[in-house]
Amino acid sequence: MSADVTERRLAVLRFLVAAYAAVWSAVRAPALLDPLAFADRRFDPVGPLGLLDGPLPDLVLIGLVIATPVSCAVFALGRFPTISGPVAAFAFLVVTTYRNSWGQLFHTENLVALHLVVLAVAAYTRSDRRWAVDAMAVLTVGTYVVAGVAKLRISGLAWLDGDVLRHQIAFDNARKELLGDVSSPFAGWFLRQGWLLGPAAVATMVVELGAPLALLGRRWALGWSVMAFGFHVAITVFMAILFPYQLLGVALAPLLPMERLVQWLPRRSRDLTEAPEIKPVE
Amino acid sequence: MRFRLRIAGPVVAAVVVVSPMLREPTNDTYPLSTYPMFAFDRGVEHDIATAVEVDVDGDAVRLSPKLIAGTDEVILASVTVKRSIALGEAELLCGEIAERLGPGRTVDVRVETVDVVAFITAGVEPSGIDVKARCVG
Repeated sequence: MSADVTERRLAVLRFLVAAYAAVWSAVRAPALLDPLAFADRRFDPVGPLGLLDGPLPDLVLIGLVIATPVSCAVFALGRFPTISGPVAAFAFLVVTTYRNSWGQLFHTENLVALHLVVLAVAAYTRSDRRWAVDAMAVLTVGTYVVAGVAKLRISGLAWLDGDVLRHQIAFDNARKELLGDVSSPFAGWFLRQGWLLGPAAVATMVVELGAPLALLGRRWALGWSVMAFGFHVAITVFMAILFPYQLLGVALAPLLPMERLVQWLPRRSRDLTEAPEIKPVE
Repeated sequence: MRFRLRIAGPVVAAVVVVSPMLREPTNDTYPLSTYPMFAFDRGVEHDIATAVEVDVDGDAVRLSPKLIAGTDEVILASVTVKRSIALGEAELLCGEIAERLGPGRTVDVRVETVDVVAFITAGVEPSGIDVKARCVG
């Protein structure tokens, strides 16, 4: 990948990831502010906030929830990237960590937070930033590998016979119904097709443990990305669980030739640093 | 220098993202997760903690996660009820839910025993209900 292609791809990635984070944190702002009404006894800090001995002051949380979409949007538009990048990465990491600090860990924003950190660091380097594109691709692939390995470590090869998957789908949908949430209308049908569950479990493992193949080249990346996208569509259809970062393709973007989209970006956001503007694609 | 950065960047990213594999898979955190959420065999029969409104006929009316735990996240609502029962705080939670529902409404915090596969595939109702707390708003 030439330096010019790298810069274009990185500019597109920066725009996609930061814009996603901006929209997500704006849309989810009410949920991010829910802890204002939670009882303090429910606070169970994790990760970077693990040392907190009590909930954040209300004004701090409100400030962070406002700062997150604003800084992410500024970063997406390429304004003051050496400031907006770190602020966006920090604010997003803190608000999502805080969201996870009330007794339940979610697994939908991890990759967004990690990608933002790489982009923020990349804003401080001015030449040959292929490392940043590659690092983001490795982070995407790595999360799938870790998920696959967890299945093998916890359930062993028994995970492949389909029963674990059947019980997971049934439990998740039953819990949703008992707690007044929307469950999948297709789950019952799927679980009655017993013959499908084994192949579905094997396909899941192929996607997760086969993820590193996506690093071998463009065709491998495209092939694996299609499978990973299908995997998340299936999770949405049969478990009513949304992984929007993956379903919108942003999580997979570091693996793909996104530089072709550079002409669609707002003019100012085509540049990752305050360096001269990158020439448009021929 | 450039070459070293080109190699070191992805290597550091790889080490960071797979580092959770050095922990027990059940020792999860954020943002560096072990992603254990679909890894367990949960089995068929479950005791699921929930909260319902009890209407004037004594029938259970399902409540939303927002009413149960002040959130639209169903998993967080589920964990909130489960933890409250485990910590002996079912009465406290029951009172909070009743307050959200409004005056004169009856709330049960309870555990329902369910064959989750039969429930989803054939609509088989829970086989047992254990009321942990009842309160009136």
